[in-house]
Amino acid sequence: MSRKALLISPELCIGCRGCQTACKSWNQLSAEKTQNKGTAENPPDLSPNVYNRIRYVEVPSAANPVRWLFVSQRCMHCGDAGCMKICPAPGALYRTKEGAVAFNKEKCIGCRLCIGGCPFNVPRYDAKDKIAKCTLCSDRISAGLAPACAKTCPSGAIRFGDRDAMIDLSKKTGYAKVYGEADLGGLGTLFAFRDAPAVYGMEEKPAIPESVIFWNRILRPLAYWGLGAAVAASLLHYVAVGPKRDEEVKKDE
Amino acid sequence: MSNMIKKADAFEIVNHWTTAISFFLLVVSGFGFLFHIGQVGSVFGGFSQMRVIHNYAGLVFAASLLLSVFSYLGEALIFSGEDVIWLIKGGGYLSKTGKVPPQGKLNAGQKGFYLLLLLAGIVISASGLTIWLMPGIRKWLLLSHLLHNISFDLLLIAVTGHIYLATLANPGTFRIMIYGTVPLEWARKRHAKWVQKMGF
Repeated sequence: MSRKALLISPELCIGCRGCQTACKSWNQLSAEKTQNKGTAENPPDLSPNVYNRIRYVEVPSAANPVRWLFVSQRCMHCGDAGCMKICPAPGALYRTKEGAVAFNKEKCIGCRLCIGGCPFNVPRYDAKDKIAKCTLCSDRISAGLAPACAKTCPSGAIRFGDRDAMIDLSKKTGYAKVYGEADLGGLGTLFAFRDAPAVYGMEEKPAIPESVIFWNRILRPLAYWGLGAAVAASLLHYVAVGPKRDEEVKKDE
Repeated sequence: MSNMIKKADAFEIVNHWTTAISFFLLVVSGFGFLFHIGQVGSVFGGFSQMRVIHNYAGLVFAASLLLSVFSYLGEALIFSGEDVIWLIKGGGYLSKTGKVPPQGKLNAGQKGFYLLLLLAGIVISASGLTIWLMPGIRKWLLLSHLLHNISFDLLLIAVTGHIYLATLANPGTFRIMIYGTVPLEWARKRHAKWVQKMGF
């Protein structure tokens, strides 16, 4: 199965937020009271009931005093996912055959370490202390359907398909650089940006925290190598030097 | 047995085994979490249940560690020149003929081990509590996760050495953590300064 991806084109987004509604509808997420921040942005953040939302970015310049950018925010479905790396509960976060990072609430133990591992501040926890986030509608895409957000998007700002095809499409339509093409093992949520990622409120070089990489490469293997080495050294000492049997021990002077 | 000397009191022995059992539970469940070992999860009744047991065993470990201060810290903080020589000579463990300077109730290696245990134990308990009770704050999670794992590796290696030295490597030592007593002659060979101080 080829890896699937979303292609987000903020320049095509009209800010209707149909994707937010479709997401809630398909994933059966309840509405929650929000606050009017005085912009087109609502709700103000991802939450256990908000798997995706449109961030509203205003970039006024002399040439274009009303440049509005609507940037979809949600799980990026990293090819090399920090949340999956750090998660201590097998099966709580898992990769679907389409390459999405999905979750199983029954296996989530509520430790919240994935919040630390995620480079994009995506995982949220519900009232029962279980993870909640975008799954790329893994239940839909496994049946050959597009994710709810892409299905409902009226302007082509959110498109879905084979990841390679999405990258090609983006490049063919004039976006030389695709955000997420190579970072973090390739993202499953790609962005066609005209400008630097910072203009859209995204990090230039998203990465898994250094401490998590250090832990994964060094500290984690050291647990069994260190234990093994300590046991081996003990046995080696026992054989090579031998124990301090009482009759052999001299009085210390 | 003839002349015995009391090296550990009941409080010390009970507290030692409290530390040991909680540490064992923590290590086994910790390995289950680190390497996603399903069988370990099953033994604990699933990973959610294992998290609860891991957290509460951590509380027991932290409490018994704090109580151990009364048994060992005073002794462990006194480091003499003889202790340094003892450490340089590897505690006499490097050969059969090695001679080491006379030691107090704890030898230099035991003092070092205790200080490491106390320090790493405080770090692993504090970082564990942070992950448990202050959830969701990213920089605290990451710092705690790092410190928790560094101190875990240190403790795992140090405690393995401790178990070897207290059992196979030194026949006659293990009984201290059961009966609290050792033969006077045994003690004289290994803790001469302490035996002398006790008036034997």
